[in-house]
Amino acid sequence: MTAAATGDGRVEAGGATRYAGTRIGRVEDPRLLTGRGTYVDDIRLPGMLHAVFVRSPVARGRILGIDASAALALPGVRHVFTAADLNPDVREQWHTSVGPKSPETPRPPLADTDVRFVGDPVALVLADDRYLAEDAAELVEVDYEQLPAVVDYTRAAQAQELVHEAHGSNVVGQLAGRPAATLADVFAGAAHVVTDTIHQQAHTAVPMEGRGMVVDYSASTGELTIHAATQAPHEIRLFCSRLLGLPEHRIRVLMRDTGGGFGQKVMVQRDEMALMLVARRAGAPVKWVEDRRENLLAAGMSRHEHADVSMAFDPDGLILAASIDFVSDCGAYPTPWPVGTSAAVGMLFPGPYRVPAASFTATTVYTNTAGRVAYRGPWQFETLAREVLLDNAAREMGMDPAELRRRNLLRTDELPFANPNGMTYDRITPLETFEQALEMLDYDAFRAEQARAREAGRYLGVGMSTYVEPSTPGYGSYATEAATIRIEPSGKVNVYIAGGSTGNSIETTVVQLTADVLGVAIEDVATIQGDTAVTGFGAGTAGSRSGSMTAGAVRDTATILRERMIAIAAHKLEAAPEDIELVRSRASVRGVPGASVTVAELAATAYFDPYSLPPGVPAGLEASARYTAETRSVWVNAAHVCTCEVDPVTGGVTLLRYIVSEDCGPMINPSVVEGQIAGGTVQGIGGALLEHLAYDEDGNPTATTFVDYLLPTATDVPVIEYGHIETMSGGPGGYKGVGEGGAIGAPPAVVNAVADALAPFGARITRLPLTPESLAALVPPEALR
Amino acid sequence: MSDVQVELTVNGQARTATVQPRLTLADFLREECRLTGTHLGCEHGVCGACTVLVDGEAVRSCLVFAVQAAGSEVTTVEGLGGPDGELSPVQAALRDCHGLQCGFCTPGFVVSITAFLRDNPRPTDQETREALSGTLCRCTGYQGILRAVQQAAGAETAR
Amino acid sequence: MKPAAFDYHAPGTVEEAVALLAELGDDAKVLAGGQSLIPMLALRLTAFDHLVDVCRIPELQGVQQRDGGVRIGAAVRHAQVGTSPEVAAAAPLLTLATPLVGHFQIRNRGTLGGAIAHADPAAEYPAAALALDATMDIASPTGRRTLTAQEFFTDLWTTAMEPDEMLVGVTFPAWGGRSGFAVEEFARRHGDYAIAGAEVAVELDETDRVRRCAIGLVALGPTPERPREAEAELVGRPVSEIDPAEVGRLAMAGLTAVTSDGNGSADYRRRVGAAMVARAWTRAVADASTEGAA
Repeated sequence: MTAAATGDGRVEAGGATRYAGTRIGRVEDPRLLTGRGTYVDDIRLPGMLHAVFVRSPVARGRILGIDASAALALPGVRHVFTAADLNPDVREQWHTSVGPKSPETPRPPLADTDVRFVGDPVALVLADDRYLAEDAAELVEVDYEQLPAVVDYTRAAQAQELVHEAHGSNVVGQLAGRPAATLADVFAGAAHVVTDTIHQQAHTAVPMEGRGMVVDYSASTGELTIHAATQAPHEIRLFCSRLLGLPEHRIRVLMRDTGGGFGQKVMVQRDEMALMLVARRAGAPVKWVEDRRENLLAAGMSRHEHADVSMAFDPDGLILAASIDFVSDCGAYPTPWPVGTSAAVGMLFPGPYRVPAASFTATTVYTNTAGRVAYRGPWQFETLAREVLLDNAAREMGMDPAELRRRNLLRTDELPFANPNGMTYDRITPLETFEQALEMLDYDAFRAEQARAREAGRYLGVGMSTYVEPSTPGYGSYATEAATIRIEPSGKVNVYIAGGSTGNSIETTVVQLTADVLGVAIEDVATIQGDTAVTGFGAGTAGSRSGSMTAGAVRDTATILRERMIAIAAHKLEAAPEDIELVRSRASVRGVPGASVTVAELAATAYFDPYSLPPGVPAGLEASARYTAETRSVWVNAAHVCTCEVDPVTGGVTLLRYIVSEDCGPMINPSVVEGQIAGGTVQGIGGALLEHLAYDEDGNPTATTFVDYLLPTATDVPVIEYGHIETMSGGPGGYKGVGEGGAIGAPPAVVNAVADALAPFGARITRLPLTPESLAALVPPEALR
Repeated sequence: MSDVQVELTVNGQARTATVQPRLTLADFLREECRLTGTHLGCEHGVCGACTVLVDGEAVRSCLVFAVQAAGSEVTTVEGLGGPDGELSPVQAALRDCHGLQCGFCTPGFVVSITAFLRDNPRPTDQETREALSGTLCRCTGYQGILRAVQQAAGAETAR
Repeated sequence: MKPAAFDYHAPGTVEEAVALLAELGDDAKVLAGGQSLIPMLALRLTAFDHLVDVCRIPELQGVQQRDGGVRIGAAVRHAQVGTSPEVAAAAPLLTLATPLVGHFQIRNRGTLGGAIAHADPAAEYPAAALALDATMDIASPTGRRTLTAQEFFTDLWTTAMEPDEMLVGVTFPAWGGRSGFAVEEFARRHGDYAIAGAEVAVELDETDRVRRCAIGLVALGPTPERPREAEAELVGRPVSEIDPAEVGRLAMAGLTAVTSDGNGSADYRRRVGAAMVARAWTRAVADASTEGAA
């Protein structure tokens, strides 16, 4: 793209002004920088009560009795609800994206007879303030019969104890691709076979704001207003409608600002159901804000899994076959049913490589721990396992890991390419991004530096990974997205989309895209999001879909208004419609200086002078349209390259350089794209090195504070360098999704870099996180002298 | 338990309230003063989202009881920009550098960086990272925040 | 995550404070900077009916030169310790250790006395006090007494102070001559409690022999530790003949109760501890040698 930035950040391209492609400052920022955002905890309603959950202190047990009398005796304590009070109100419990027929885990909002993990919600206390509610929660006496817990998921399938007795097994489900036996000959005849068992520890989204909800029910009107920390306000409304049997249009869900979600706030969990259920019984608005300990106890677990993985190679290092047997821990109450998503790990395991044959199995098991929830790139284990295995294969074969990948990565002339599990990739650039990342590093120079460092007793390493990811799901409730645009009578523009600010900059994105299609100045465009009363249904922020789907909704809607403005302008200026151009809120006749009319004048005509409109043009400048995705997914790919130094004594890892080359199509706003990549990458770095949602052998969580759950800080991350390759997707604007990829590519790049650094000690790394102690254990003391 | 009367100055305005001794300064600001820009991300002193200035020094307001701050001058994120909405140099730099995404941690960074640059107007990269390491962000990977500190430092020097 | 209710007391003098502590007994706790106590209260891991805020007592403020050393009031904030010229002159080890205490927002609030009375073996100040032979000024309703750091730290989070006693100030004797100092720690992240750390002071004589040395060990036992046998073996030897790795091994040799927990097994802590001692020794010796050159 040839373009020149102007002073205000616009791009002049081919004579037309475009905001897409520029680093426009975010429209969300002024309020967020000055403390004027509105997060759920900032909502304060008259008479509002504060809710605190009483949570199970045992991992598995029976509830023998609950005595709330001491709690209720405290002045200012209004209610203590238990399962017997709330659960009978439940009508239906299904998410739109999953549908009513999925074999979901039974989910009592409050634990009824059994508790199944430490943190399981047992009772709900409502009091005049949060301090009092916590006092009262301590006074609710619950008598538990503690039972042996299923904690080690690798033994859950064989355990005598069952997490859900009615299910009859701790295996939630199993899915498989081609049977491994059919590949036995390929493996047996291969020049080289590499096999590993790779383990990933439990860690999860940990948004800086926990979950939260304010429910406000009006008995006189039958209306329920919900303020929520959510990625999907419309899903909350639909779910609540089904849960309570309230008509959907009687429920309004509002969210202005949500403090991060990363998957955790897409679906409705049991605590949130309890809040919805309590709305009609409290007699007052009720606020629940999840505190940090609750968030680490009960908001869900992700990533806890392992797999036996193998690859067969020919004498030149070309991949002949790949197989993965994957087992994932789903905790006690996975949301949603985890079997389908686990299969994605198997189906994507071949990655962006020329893999002719593959097999997989995917097994999901229940344990007495927090339930599995989505976390940015929920299937990312396929990339971790594949890329770690490839590095191990390269070391075994005595081949450079970059060269091994280079020989196997798909070239653009091979696309579209159907992987052996039936995933057909197209419009991706695995080899190009990989080569770009290596070039940015100057791979050969790094290898030379590494050799010199080793002679000096310093251990540097380089790690790389590549992946291909299905973004922008085009099925079910995800397949469409709506926009309403009103050019107001003054000519100012409001864009209504489901959206909602959760950190993905979707307000800015929408404003940029709308200004471009309408040809108006960006300062004339505002957006209203996160209010189900005024926005059309949208499935929310999930699956790296917001940018690409919203681009379609804005394009289709704004095009209607653009054509209408041009018709009115042509009529007023007595010109042909094809000669009208719309630039910065002014319609002009191309080549006729002075012949122009402002959008404000067009709007005034459209609203206030309807009889002077050209024939066939309706009054007003308002339109709604709904975009439908053209494909079932938009493929996006990237390569990550990372260098590090490892202290062989302490096992401490210092990341030196971090390069991401990605192909997300044209960038609507490069700052937003890079922000998404950086955020995901650092989450991946955290997963590789620091974060561990650990449990002891009795099922007690041991990381329920930020002293124990270690998030990466500014001293733990290197400068992230970005390379971009732009291949148009088949969707609107050629855009692709970029929300999740960073978190997919980073863990194996870090693992491989560390393993490369410690290669002189014969280290082979197959278990995350890479704690310093675990790395030091790979360097025997005698090797240090 | 006896309530206590607390008098302090918040963003230049005198505030008096009778509160429980256990009320944290963070909750005093949020609930009594209705200044909800001070966010609670952990309530045990690690995440830094609740950082405010007490007599000019950046502290975690979840680790100070309001009664301990009696007689102090407190400045919150709401008090750092201009009354007309003009962004402070630190706020403007964070915006220019894409130093925020969901914005929940942002008030803590704004306040902490403001105090840090006042005491160390030309920090090195290492000093900057160490100063930022007491505030957690889950969205940005710290990239834009680190650039913003350098930009704001340059802006301050240019004055 | 809100603390349980308590009554708040803000005595104006040490005498009032210890009288309150005596009167209230186990139901009361001294509140200093609160940076360790308040999280425990917020998480409801502990609760007290009374908190006695000592930060408004004038006697607990200020940093003064005393007998060639430096006396630091118990309520002096870490940030003030870290920037005090008096501290830097008399006890540079303390100045070096301060940036490793948490993060700057914590150091703006936390107090030296609070950190030492909390007696966390993974904290920087207790180990520095032990290494530097600091003395603790303690008040009780019946009067004052002074304890050495060696006497003061008795067990994990436990000191020799009685429930009705409070720490008023800490005096650090000065190290003169050709002295050098260094602190080395290894933690999961910057600002975290160390997995193991070493605070080393060394003084060289004119012939570059070790005149005296002190090693404070962080997070290597239930209390801050000081390997006195190792120190004794080093005194009198030409510094050029001392292998820093040997110093590390010596320092670990006498440890009998090395911490083992989720942050590190005992063996791993010994390995890291030895390396931290060796690295701190190297830097402290270099620092001392520079003194000679000047």
